[in-house]
Amino acid sequence: MDLAPPRDGKTIEKGTSLGRDAWYRLQKNHLAMASLWFFIFIVVVCFLLPLFPFVPNPNITHPDLQSMPALSSATSMEGAEVFYLLGSDHLGRDIFARILYGGRVSLAVGFLATAVSLSIGVIYGALSGYVGGRLDAAMMRVVDILYALPFMIIVIILTTYFGNQLWLLFVCIGAVEWLTMSRIVRGQVISLKNQEFVEAARSLGLGQSRIIFRHLIPNTVGPVIVYTTLTVPAVMRLEAILSFLGLGVQPPDASWGSLIKEGADRMASDPGLLIYPAIVFGLTLFSLNFLGDGLRDALDPKSSKD
Amino acid sequence: MTPPAPHETHQGSPLHPTLFGRLLSGFLAGALLLGLTSCERESRVDKATKEKILLLGNGAEPKALDPHIVSSVGDSNILRSLFEGLVAYHPKNDMLHEPGVAERWESNEDFSEWRFFLRNDARWSNGDPVTAHDFVYSYNRILHPEMAAPYASMLYFLKNGEAFNRGEIDDFSQVGVKAVNDFELVCTLERPAPYFPDVVKHTTWLPIHGPTIEKFGKMTDTYTEWQKPGNHVSNGAFRLTDWRINAYVKVRKNPHYWDVKNVKPNGINFYPIDNTFTEEKAFRNGLLHYTYVLPNNLISAYEKSGDPRLRKETYNGSYFFRCNVNEAPTNNVDFRRALAYAINQETIVNFVTRGGQQPAYGFTPPSEAGYHPPDMIRHDPDVAREFLTKAGYESGADVPEFTIMINTSESHKDIAVAIQDMWKKTLGIEKVKIENQEWKVFQQTVQDIEYQVSRAGWIGDYVDPNTFLSMWLSGDSNNQTGWSNPDYDRLMKESASISDPAERYAKLVAAETILLSEVPVLPVYWYTRVYLLHPDVKNWHPLLLDNHPYKHIDLVRDESEETPE
Repeated sequence: MDLAPPRDGKTIEKGTSLGRDAWYRLQKNHLAMASLWFFIFIVVVCFLLPLFPFVPNPNITHPDLQSMPALSSATSMEGAEVFYLLGSDHLGRDIFARILYGGRVSLAVGFLATAVSLSIGVIYGALSGYVGGRLDAAMMRVVDILYALPFMIIVIILTTYFGNQLWLLFVCIGAVEWLTMSRIVRGQVISLKNQEFVEAARSLGLGQSRIIFRHLIPNTVGPVIVYTTLTVPAVMRLEAILSFLGLGVQPPDASWGSLIKEGADRMASDPGLLIYPAIVFGLTLFSLNFLGDGLRDALDPKSSKD
Repeated sequence: MTPPAPHETHQGSPLHPTLFGRLLSGFLAGALLLGLTSCERESRVDKATKEKILLLGNGAEPKALDPHIVSSVGDSNILRSLFEGLVAYHPKNDMLHEPGVAERWESNEDFSEWRFFLRNDARWSNGDPVTAHDFVYSYNRILHPEMAAPYASMLYFLKNGEAFNRGEIDDFSQVGVKAVNDFELVCTLERPAPYFPDVVKHTTWLPIHGPTIEKFGKMTDTYTEWQKPGNHVSNGAFRLTDWRINAYVKVRKNPHYWDVKNVKPNGINFYPIDNTFTEEKAFRNGLLHYTYVLPNNLISAYEKSGDPRLRKETYNGSYFFRCNVNEAPTNNVDFRRALAYAINQETIVNFVTRGGQQPAYGFTPPSEAGYHPPDMIRHDPDVAREFLTKAGYESGADVPEFTIMINTSESHKDIAVAIQDMWKKTLGIEKVKIENQEWKVFQQTVQDIEYQVSRAGWIGDYVDPNTFLSMWLSGDSNNQTGWSNPDYDRLMKESASISDPAERYAKLVAAETILLSEVPVLPVYWYTRVYLLHPDVKNWHPLLLDNHPYKHIDLVRDESEETPE
């Protein structure tokens, strides 16, 4: 019965929870921790900093103050005093403010689309895995079919049908990204559903939905969290690709993807337009990927051993 | 989406092995290697110059290769290479004429009846002779109500042309165009037009080959197989050999063309590149002889280096926004006025477009043969705000949401964003959306008037203010705003019968004054053509209408060429 070895040599006082164990292991992974803090920092900066008045409106143009260098201040012909922390773009808009506001869109897309994919994928996968049999086969074939549909074409069709709207982007991406999630959860549930604790629950007379939602899904949380942290950057990348193709956010609003596209067009004359958003976007993606890696090791002690 | 570069590369270079090793120096070697080989390798342009194939950037993917369907400048560029009208464009001056299919022409005294004498040796690309009947057939086709040709109004010059197009007359023989015999064509006009030879140069007046059309459908069928390479029959200096959607349209010398020995290039490749930055990169990398446009922010860089490849020319065109006058909020004339006066044209020209364009205070560009448009829409924030109040909005925040429709292009986007911000700053209008559509879709949206405000440009079809003002007549197929005004129509009709230019211009000014006071259009600027041209291209002269007759353009390797980078 000596499953959890006693910590700091004392006798067993109480068992540590799975979450606490994972947290300890994660803390030992410095890269993952740094990534975590960096990511929190980016989120806070993007969502809270624009609330302060010193961050200018990202869509205000000063056409006479275009392509200003970083850390410059000037007076526009309309008499407005402006200070550019990271310089201005070809219409005199503040790059720093545009990166912050663009980050809001990109992060919001990342989280919301991931939430959509998470809820669909987990419920669908759990149901399919738990019920099994023909229903499982049918549900998984549906997933296979959806996998086969080319994502870009679906999005293009939907945008021409519903118009170019941001909520559509969440739905499109979320609706596509849940497929892998549902397969992962299904696999987990199949391996869990014949274990003793499920049998115990069943013999106590619990209902099906209670078994699925209270006993099975919480046990899949490890792989789900890991996959979620990897989905967020994937979704942000997708949004960037769509914006790059002109299907995402509409001007004058920006996302990191659309900022990078605009910057790529002008990189010969105005490299800052490309470099700054690309650095921020790249670092955010890296941090999420490292965090995901760290969480996988932390939550799944088996995989950390090989 | 430019086609891939040619495959012949010189593999290996002396620098190659020495710099390999660490990652950074590896990158460096790669960059050097790339730079080196691209210098040594014969670029696509050099190869094309040798083969005398002109490589032209041409904006967007063509809507069609049928002169009766298209209405955009890029499309008519391709059609001008494929077809030849009665009169052809002069390589140096738009006011002069070159004989086309017609060897000579004459008019009666008051310019209301024109006789064209066709040459006997004009041939279609399948060898059939080009006759006067072909022209009658074409004019019947474009004017036919079932065709719903977007540009049919160009042929309203013909007597009863408009009535036939509107379905008021069923009998085409009542329309003022007759083939006296195989080689003599008579055009009877609705009203005198001394500039008629200029008019028939236009794309809409090009002939098409009837038997080919009817091989693939009825006369009035659009978008049939006849436009495909292999099926396409044309009578110009070139014939269609290849067309890949979003990649290229290739035309090659037409061996049956009557003047084939004087056709200088062996062929032309038109590349639809709608991203202006991509196009400029393609030009710089030796993939194009000519860019359709040049991105705003690169103009000053090219100017600073004194690059001789940069061309900046006066262009007979007007850039403006259309307003849908049937839909809120732009159905309110005072609201439209508020929008018009809130646009600072000078800021746009000086800081956004930066190509030496002129701010437009009226609609018709002033270069039109002595015509001066009324100077009415000058940026004035106070006047704009007054009109906004008059329109019934206490502040801009009360204005319901509306959308500016643009076709996909960085420069249109920049102008739209700048104007959107001007409306916000001056009028406080918060809810203006910008939506972009691909060019083909966009043209349809505008034609169906399914927008509130849309970006537009109009390039003169001939050198006369009439080409800019006749489109605002009630129900004109290029009006596309729903605007109509009986006084305007009356003044335009009256002007047509006046032969004294000064008197006629006075009427036109009066008409344009009505147009500008009701502002179904918001003027922005008058065009200049800014583009890049490779020094190998000879005989390319600045033209007011920019309709270059391609058969005169020569390609000779420029020896003095020291590509400035």
